[in-house]
Amino acid sequence: MTKKQSAARVWRALAWLAAVASVSAFQLSRPETAFAAGYYEGKTLTVVVGYKPGGGYDRYARLIGKYLPRHLPGNPTVIIQNMPGANSIIAANHVFSVAKPDGLTIGTFNNGLVIAQLTRVEGVKYDLTKLSWLGSAASDAAILALRSDLPFKTVADLRKAKEPIVIGATGPGSSTYDFPALLKEFAGLNLKLVSGYSSSADVMLAIERKEVDGRAGSYASILPYITNGLVRPLIRTRVRVPEIEKLPVDEDLATTPKGKALMAVRSAPEAIYRPFAAPPGVPADALKTLRDGFAAALRDKDLLAEAAKGKLPIDYVSAEEALKIVREVLSQPPDVAREIGKYIKFGD
Amino acid sequence: MFDSFIQGLWVIFEGRTFLMMGLGIILGFWVGLLPGLGGSTTLALMLPFVYKMSPVEAFAFLLGMHSVVSTTGDITSVLFGIPGEGTTAATIPDGHTMAKKGEAGRALGAVLMSSLIGALIGAFALALAVPVVRPLVLSFGSPELFMLAVVGIAFISSLSGQGTRALLRGVLAGLLGLLISLVGQDPQAGVQRFTFGQLYLWGGLDLVPVLVGLFAVPELVDLAVRGTSIAGELPKDNLASGVWLGIRDTFRHLGLTVRCSLIGTFIGIMPGLGGGVAQWIAYGHAVQSARNAEERERFGKGDVRGVLGPGAANNSKEGGSLIPTITFGVPGSSSMAILLGAFFLQGIVPGPDMLDKHLVLTFSMVWTMVVANVITVAISLVFLKQLARLTTVRGSILIPFIVFLAFIGSYTSNNHIGDLLVFLIFGLVGFSMIKCGWPRAPLVLGFVLGRIAENNFYISTVRYGSAWLARPMVLLLVVLTVVVVIYPFVRGAKGAAARAAEAA
Repeated sequence: MTKKQSAARVWRALAWLAAVASVSAFQLSRPETAFAAGYYEGKTLTVVVGYKPGGGYDRYARLIGKYLPRHLPGNPTVIIQNMPGANSIIAANHVFSVAKPDGLTIGTFNNGLVIAQLTRVEGVKYDLTKLSWLGSAASDAAILALRSDLPFKTVADLRKAKEPIVIGATGPGSSTYDFPALLKEFAGLNLKLVSGYSSSADVMLAIERKEVDGRAGSYASILPYITNGLVRPLIRTRVRVPEIEKLPVDEDLATTPKGKALMAVRSAPEAIYRPFAAPPGVPADALKTLRDGFAAALRDKDLLAEAAKGKLPIDYVSAEEALKIVREVLSQPPDVAREIGKYIKFGD
Repeated sequence: MFDSFIQGLWVIFEGRTFLMMGLGIILGFWVGLLPGLGGSTTLALMLPFVYKMSPVEAFAFLLGMHSVVSTTGDITSVLFGIPGEGTTAATIPDGHTMAKKGEAGRALGAVLMSSLIGALIGAFALALAVPVVRPLVLSFGSPELFMLAVVGIAFISSLSGQGTRALLRGVLAGLLGLLISLVGQDPQAGVQRFTFGQLYLWGGLDLVPVLVGLFAVPELVDLAVRGTSIAGELPKDNLASGVWLGIRDTFRHLGLTVRCSLIGTFIGIMPGLGGGVAQWIAYGHAVQSARNAEERERFGKGDVRGVLGPGAANNSKEGGSLIPTITFGVPGSSSMAILLGAFFLQGIVPGPDMLDKHLVLTFSMVWTMVVANVITVAISLVFLKQLARLTTVRGSILIPFIVFLAFIGSYTSNNHIGDLLVFLIFGLVGFSMIKCGWPRAPLVLGFVLGRIAENNFYISTVRYGSAWLARPMVLLLVVLTVVVVIYPFVRGAKGAAARAAEAA
């Protein structure tokens, strides 16, 4: 091949590239058609999940992803995109700054992300107050539960404990750890925290073999073991769940205003336990369609039946309410935020 | 109890159930072969389909799929040197070397037969364990789990080569593995370790990209440099007789195959060990079974026993890991965690009920594993010729295909660009280790056991102080550790003495 020939080849290739690039650029920059009745027709809605397949967040996403199209104009195809890592910070960053605000991407991530934002955890690039919120699919209270064969029936019994009560936990940043850690520090309970179990199910097993005396965690996940008599719930957080409304609330046990405040902030996100939101800047009409669809899907009888069968509690919280909770947590003054950061590490 | 056992077998042969199991097997077959698709991811994707099935159908489908994944995953490991599944990497050091020597048929025959035996033993262990499983699992606390991890780590001594220098390299590789296992947020203080400000590293390194990099990249480079097919210019074994030879090998070393199946089952039963542990410990044990130094030298260079051990263990552990899943609701592995989701979808609460109210269902799971594996091994044997012929395809045609699979395989762990970087970095590590004559198995062992050892040590110490050291089972495991460590030396010394006697 002569030099001239090869040069011609290079130029031809470059010309091709330029042509392809300009056509695709045109495609990308084409303004979206006005939001109309059949907007979702033939389109694909992506639900970004901050965890691997199989966990709680993933199961909620798949359940809602299955019924959401019924309640959106044009019946889109829904795909679930698992984007695990950093307790879902990666997914939240993606939804916040990479995904387009065209109503075709929504995400679900750890409710504790709001704490991560408040305590300025490294790597946080999102601002939850700017997301286009759809709301939350469920709320859940954290509880402290102890083995039923132990002589603790009330908080008063707990206070009398001479030997430390051993609480199993996965690690800092999870409700299995932070909730009892604050109780120990600010409610004067004689607890000893043992962390490092690989999952909350493993902590449950440690309770069964009497390695630990009890655990904290979400009410929904401990419920089967309360039902079968292995553990007894003793303390709850502020979120109201009908069956355990009578239990004492952690904030009322706090002996100092600071402890009370910390407990309130820690448990606030539990009201939006399964949050769903779209990128910032989704046009108002598109956002309304999404929000209405989300709300309607969570009232869908088939969804409720499937959720009940799969033991996924459904407890819809509106977008406004969710955003209010996020703002409330983030409104803490910087010195309080720093203090919270000392006690609450972000984790899953 | 026996009635339920038999009834469990009948129910899986009922029309729809058997059909569902068949579908599961077909899916699992491909998922196992393709390194790009993980068994647990596929399980999660299939979950919505079980909503309308009856419990027996649902588990026939899911377990039918899941229990064959590690069988066909072994085939990929042997043929291409890429782990078809994260749990099938330990068949590479010897299995793929055999394929390179033109013995693909023999290696495949061995891996399939040992997989079948492993699956049978795992399933029957599960059936036998039903009455005693709760006390057994409950008797293993964190101190015992820690010691189990220590026993596993002790296998590093047998996975290293001969002599002080080789042992030192093995130990260093093991330490490197332990170091790598520390990456991520620690569960005691919530501190980030070795994450270098990267969100990707918070959760620690994933097993799959590490293994695929460590094993596939050196093979690819080797294949490219040699410029031939995987089986090279060597005379190929006659496939049909090669397969037969591999099957015979399995029975020739039946004791080893059974012991490794039991190791796999036991590790499966212990919640929290899971994942890639069983196959590597079994591999370590297979190496240890060598009678003398010369025999040990052959491991990693295509000894069929290095294929049989992990081949059996990664199948038998499935039966084992089902035990804590169904009796306590504590998943024995990541796939089992997803299977738990299926229990909830079916409205079944795992726990004591499984051993009593749902006993037929429990036994139908046992039978599903048995029948699915029999079918899979039979199908694989039929198509073995075509599969093994892949090793005679020219490297230049095969390489792009393998690179593609290795990339996809790594990328599907987190769907993150970091997966590819980890793959490349560990590819470089693996390549350098081969070049410098360092063993890779101890590194993997350290990596898979590091976190388990750390967490259980911490829990034991905080919970019991030093008192845990005096627990009877802990002491027993300490003795076992010592035996595992000194055994190779004793054998080595004996072998040397024997040779000296011969020379005299």
